[in-house]
Amino acid sequence: MTWSIAAPAITAAFLASVVEVVEAFTLVLAVATLRGWRPAAWGTTAGLALLAAIVVLLGPLLDHVPIHSLQLAIGILLLLFGMGWLRKASLRAAGIIPLHDEDAVFAAAAAQLDQQTRRQQRNLHWVAGITALKAVLLEGLEVVFIVIAVGAGRGLLMPASLGALAACALVLIIGAVVHRPLSRVPENTLKFGVGVMLSAFGVFWTGEGLGIAWPGQDLALLLFAALSLPAGLVGTALARRSRMELAL
Amino acid sequence: MTVLKDVVAELIGMFVAEKRLTIAVLGVVTVAGCLVNFTDLDPLVGGAVVLLGCLILLIESVWCSAGADAS
Repeated sequence: MTWSIAAPAITAAFLASVVEVVEAFTLVLAVATLRGWRPAAWGTTAGLALLAAIVVLLGPLLDHVPIHSLQLAIGILLLLFGMGWLRKASLRAAGIIPLHDEDAVFAAAAAQLDQQTRRQQRNLHWVAGITALKAVLLEGLEVVFIVIAVGAGRGLLMPASLGALAACALVLIIGAVVHRPLSRVPENTLKFGVGVMLSAFGVFWTGEGLGIAWPGQDLALLLFAALSLPAGLVGTALARRSRMELAL
Repeated sequence: MTVLKDVVAELIGMFVAEKRLTIAVLGVVTVAGCLVNFTDLDPLVGGAVVLLGCLILLIESVWCSAGADAS
């Protein structure tokens, strides 16, 4: 294992998982606050079980894909995913789209559950449980993809998984202590950083998949990240300027 | 059924943040693939196309989205 590629893989898995787990935690907390911990717990457990089933069923298939095809497919998906995150984070930093607000997400989820309570008096625990399940499953899918994407190309699935698990543990411990939405997590800064790292991984794996031997091998990843960061910042600056010009 | 629908929508949304950007990135990768596989150029030229192409597309996408949003 070379640390020049393992460290970014673990860091990307950890930081991306923090972002996703914080979002899932907000929704599960809304369910628990309004309908009690039982539906929140079974929804979360069912969501985690479904994610585990997806990994167990689809994981072994990766071994049957030729390495260059796998690298190319993962590289392209990482490019699309990472650039999507970087684009959104840049637009949020420029004030074009509003920042993700965990308190607002919590309030919206609570209002939706409250509305459902009024509409149907029966099966309230079921509805609440499904809300928790969906939150864990949908946010978890992104974590699973990121772990596979940054880990599968060089046999780093285990370290990347540990990075993601560490993020889950950290968010759950802090969440259990503060017992409220984790709105002070700098979500957009994390998203920006992860977007930079995933875009760099995307360029790296796409190139490897196409058969390009990058100069410096794994160290090229650091150069791609170093170039993606200013690209995101330039995009933010241009967007901010464009917004201000149009506002005048 | 709604859960399944949401999962499919989430999966699509993960990779198609903006349709135009997605198509453009796929185009850049296709061009790079052609340069690497069907020309005598150094494969690193294809690599440079992927790297610089994606960075330019990112800047352009953010800038254009800002303009479209403000107008």
